Amino acid sequence: MKKSLWASSAFVVLGLILIFMPLSGYEEGIVALLCINCIAAMGVSLLTGFTGIFSLGHAAYMALGAYTAAIMTVRYGVHWFPAIVAGGIIAVLIAWLIGMPTLRLTGDYYAIASIGLGEAIRLVLENWQSFTRGARGFPGIDSYTSRTVAVGFFTVLGIGMFNLIYSRLGRELKASRDDRVAASLMGFHTPSSRMKALLISAFYCGISGALLGGYMNFIQPSMFDMMKSTELTAVVVFGGLGSMSGTLLGSAIVTSVMEYFRDISQYRMLIYGCLLVVIMVLRPEGLLGSREIWSFIPIQTLRSVFRPMPRPDARPKERG
Amino acid sequence: MENSVQFSTLFQQIINGLSLGSVYALIAVGYSLVYSILSFSNFAHGGFLVVGGYICYGLLSGVDVYGFFEIPSSGIWLASLGALGGAGIVAVLTERLAYKPIRERTSMTLYLLIASMGVSIVIENIFVILVGGRFRALPQDIFPSALFNLGWNVTVSSSDILSLVVAVFFLGGLQFFLSRTRWGLAIRAAACDLHTAGLMGVNVSLLISIVFFVAGLLATVGGIFLSVRYTLYPQLGGITTKAFVAAVIGGLGSLPGAVVGSLILGLAEMLTAGFISSQMRDLVVFSMLVIMLLVKPAGFFGRQISDKI
Repeated sequence: MKKSLWASSAFVVLGLILIFMPLSGYEEGIVALLCINCIAAMGVSLLTGFTGIFSLGHAAYMALGAYTAAIMTVRYGVHWFPAIVAGGIIAVLIAWLIGMPTLRLTGDYYAIASIGLGEAIRLVLENWQSFTRGARGFPGIDSYTSRTVAVGFFTVLGIGMFNLIYSRLGRELKASRDDRVAASLMGFHTPSSRMKALLISAFYCGISGALLGGYMNFIQPSMFDMMKSTELTAVVVFGGLGSMSGTLLGSAIVTSVMEYFRDISQYRMLIYGCLLVVIMVLRPEGLLGSREIWSFIPIQTLRSVFRPMPRPDARPKERG
Repeated sequence: MENSVQFSTLFQQIINGLSLGSVYALIAVGYSLVYSILSFSNFAHGGFLVVGGYICYGLLSGVDVYGFFEIPSSGIWLASLGALGGAGIVAVLTERLAYKPIRERTSMTLYLLIASMGVSIVIENIFVILVGGRFRALPQDIFPSALFNLGWNVTVSSSDILSLVVAVFFLGGLQFFLSRTRWGLAIRAAACDLHTAGLMGVNVSLLISIVFFVAGLLATVGGIFLSVRYTLYPQLGGITTKAFVAAVIGGLGSLPGAVVGSLILGLAEMLTAGFISSQMRDLVVFSMLVIMLLVKPAGFFGRQISDKI
């Protein structure tokens, strides 16, 4: 069976379990938060792990999604579903405007530009008082992000992402990550595939931000600062660059650990910082490296165990 | 009348801009120095500045180390000396404990980048836990605070002049160190090619420690002036982002570039604050960064970088 089909069915099963598992209200909240964080992490993973573009400003796309959804639902009374999708689309539009000039930059320079752009978007949101209510934040958002909504978005976007990385575009992205010059000599138009990766990752981050607004009922520009962007990229590196399931695992672990230490919030960030350094020192390739989680299942061994015994008169086929 | 007000604002903001720019320059030069050797952006640089600032504050006002012993309050000279040395040592320790193991294992600078972010989070939160997140002002009487009136309502405070003079002194000292000493020569060679410098008999490990010590020391000089200007708090290191922008505008890895970029940035920030609105100054800073990267990604003085095939 094709890998993408395996991944899709795994996602459907996971989604159904997460939706129908009986949980307390607090646990439901954590499941929703996990899904929100995983959606954003998948987006950044496509860009950083699979395309090799290192971004330190993706929290800004989350902010765009969050503010679009919040303003549409609160001020114009739009239903939450189109508002969330619109959040993703606005993030894509801005990403397209930003990406056109800046994607020409490579390596550290794109990372630096993305810091600047991310901060600039945050500052615009902070200073556009009449529209976004500025630094004091935007209160009174409906809590439309129930567990079902968050898990639903997570499942659909997850299936989409796994089908994408095993598609032609996914292979194109990996090729341009490994060697841009070689990929373009093979006939891939690398600038446009890089742009597609940026747009898709911005869409995922926008959706995630819109869901976060509905989860928290309150958003504030300072929630989407450089710290948050760092966290997004750090989660991807922690899970393993070039491993989508590693990203999900990393995001789940980091979210749970941070949640677990909520009681000693004073030390939370200290532990988080130490964790980043220790991971980089001990296992810089991340949890799974560049492999997906099912590649650790010993399929060949399993097959040989379950294979029927060969008949004694069977001969190996001769090759012409 | 209108014109003369405009003129005095312009003049005043140019002076403020130069003073702010000189502080940025001290920070940006260290940043750039580390980048020129290891080619990664050390986000923990802001942390060194905070360490130095708090040591200076602690020595000036006297600290009581959990009842074990008490350090009496000392004068500005001893306090700054302690701060410079302390921050330098923290910088060297950071390199030894966090960066060196990564450097030796892999050549990908991305891992160093993320580790440096981790270090900066750690340093910031150690101070949040130890001394609390409050804003602290350095004792006011340590710096001369006389105002000089230059006419046309333009005033210069003596701390502005002092920061400019100290910045020139330290940058000159760095220039002398880099161009006239053996270790300076080694650092310049390592900036060209670290690996080859190692083959030529330079003790690379010691060299990197020296570079980090110098970077931490210069950041602290900037940090003390920043904490006089904006008070001291654990997140003060965040201001390094601007020094970083300045280093990029001047050309990453180039020291004269870092100084020029810092002065441009300080002027741009203060002129925006004077003529448009002080809320726009950060926006102007980041727009300048993006425009510069688009027009001339290598900065004013940077090396032209092209893909090697």
